[in-house]
Amino acid sequence: MPYALVDHTADMALRVRAPSIEALFAEAALGLCEVLDARTSYPEETLRVELEGMDMEDLLVRWLQEVLYLVGVKGFRVYTVGRIAVAGTCLAAELEGAFGCGTLALEVKAVTYHGLSIERDGGDVTATVVLDV
Amino acid sequence: MPQPVKRRIDEYRIEIERVPPMRSRGLVYANRAIERTIEHDNVLQQVVNVACLPGIIGPSIAMPDIHWGYGFPIGGVAAFSLDEGVISPGGVGYDINCGVGCILTGLEEKDAALHTEVLLAALFNEVPSGVGSKGGITGVTEKEFRRVLEQGAGWAVRKGYLPAEDLDAFEDGGCIPGADPDAASARAYERGMPQLGTLGSGNHFLELDVVQEIHDRKTAEAFGLFEGQVVVLVHTGSRGFGHQVCDEYVRDMIAASARYGIDLPDRQLACAPVRSREGREYLGAMAASANFAFANRAIVAYLVRRAFERVFGLSFERLGMRMLVDCCHNVAKVERVEWEGRVVEACIHRKGATRALPAGDVRLPARYAVTGQPVLVPGDMGRMSFILCALDGARETFFSACHGAGRLLSRHEAKRVSRGRKILDELRHKGIRAMAASKATLAEEIPDAYKDVSDVVDTVSGAGIARPVARLRPFAMVKG
Repeated sequence: MPYALVDHTADMALRVRAPSIEALFAEAALGLCEVLDARTSYPEETLRVELEGMDMEDLLVRWLQEVLYLVGVKGFRVYTVGRIAVAGTCLAAELEGAFGCGTLALEVKAVTYHGLSIERDGGDVTATVVLDV
Repeated sequence: MPQPVKRRIDEYRIEIERVPPMRSRGLVYANRAIERTIEHDNVLQQVVNVACLPGIIGPSIAMPDIHWGYGFPIGGVAAFSLDEGVISPGGVGYDINCGVGCILTGLEEKDAALHTEVLLAALFNEVPSGVGSKGGITGVTEKEFRRVLEQGAGWAVRKGYLPAEDLDAFEDGGCIPGADPDAASARAYERGMPQLGTLGSGNHFLELDVVQEIHDRKTAEAFGLFEGQVVVLVHTGSRGFGHQVCDEYVRDMIAASARYGIDLPDRQLACAPVRSREGREYLGAMAASANFAFANRAIVAYLVRRAFERVFGLSFERLGMRMLVDCCHNVAKVERVEWEGRVVEACIHRKGATRALPAGDVRLPARYAVTGQPVLVPGDMGRMSFILCALDGARETFFSACHGAGRLLSRHEAKRVSRGRKILDELRHKGIRAMAASKATLAEEIPDAYKDVSDVVDTVSGAGIARPVARLRPFAMVKG
């Protein structure tokens, strides 16, 4: 599994490992959706997301906040992350999925900056993000 | 960042030595039992980190229910100078004005015992709870919603959701001045508007308790408490509105921190000078969120009263239902505090802490002027909660006290511990009925996940911050 949940007394941390920065962003989004129970097996629509961050870590937080918004407020359920490009501190991605109305398994209030890290680990990239639940 | 160097001052206080770049010392309220619960936690490092922020006056304080948060510790209190100090959205948290209210009833346990199951079902049906819950009240237009943000619980009075005589039970009369509805984004409105009058999920709850033991008879009488009495605790906050406000302002403050040359040990501590444009804007948005939360709890209280009226067939007045107190847990406010023998105005951050005004404080409503403010300390769902009364010792904590038991286990660990157990049955054996929108929430909120609240109360009592007035025993609850 490319992501794991890490213990944090008040909250929940998501640790993601992937072979590239694009794959890392995609797996982080899918990991978040798994935690929320916001996956679907029906790719009916594609949503385009374009974001700019202050740096790579900030970009990751903004990306996950955007996914959280689309899932929690708009009711989007994610099949997969389609095309994704990360250039500098900009991201362009396509989220494939469907609008639904199923209840989420968990209320994630926010994706935080606490203990946030993106690190190169050999050929892989690893990120840790703390979620406020 | 320096590692925390701690020294026990007395049975209830631990000092964390000031080592550069700390700008002040740390002060942790903990008896020896509490100390053992935080020994292997990173939480003291978070107390140190807060002590490094510019313009902090007095110590970086931790209440005995302290536990590891993000940025600020949960259970943290810090005061900042209005001239040299900062305001930090992370120092308030995402659930702005998450707080707790207590509704007294004239019912005794024996009256409610016959109806517990029905009452619980009525509460569960009446008060929307669970992840993303919506629709506590409907038909609130954006224009009206802006009034909610400006007026807080006062709006609920004007709309008939809250009896006028309950308003002064709310901290600051249920309205933090200076709210700026324009300082919140369209997304905050989108997230928050449908959630007005809802409980939410996670650690939010509705709890029916019985007053099990009176510790201070005179104060209990003044508060309207008696043995065997049924009371209701309501724990919720600003829902998606506050989450979104915090989200956006933390991001803005990261950029602002760099502009103002503030070195951050943790990005979640992002802040700006209190009087800066960024600081003022956040204060306006935070006050709007806090007022949403006051109105939210006032509406939930209305729905609770309606459930009681349906079950007992009597009006809430006949049932003796009235607010004892409603207070914030996560907030930053400009308040008058005592520091170095002077009364000064400072920006007090309370993140997982509650205000505690002692007798004689001019900010108290008339009914608590002689006694001091009631302080609610909800415990876990299987043991007990307390109602305390603020004491003069709260001057040392910028008029703050603990807000609950404090988590001991992570949510993940709690789920592991509860695997294979029948939590509802365990509670039932203790005479507690529970309904939860989610089984996962129930597992995360098991009693084992929390510290023993009596250790927390022993500490604040021993330190002279607040004294116990009554001990409550839960007998029914709705978990989000």
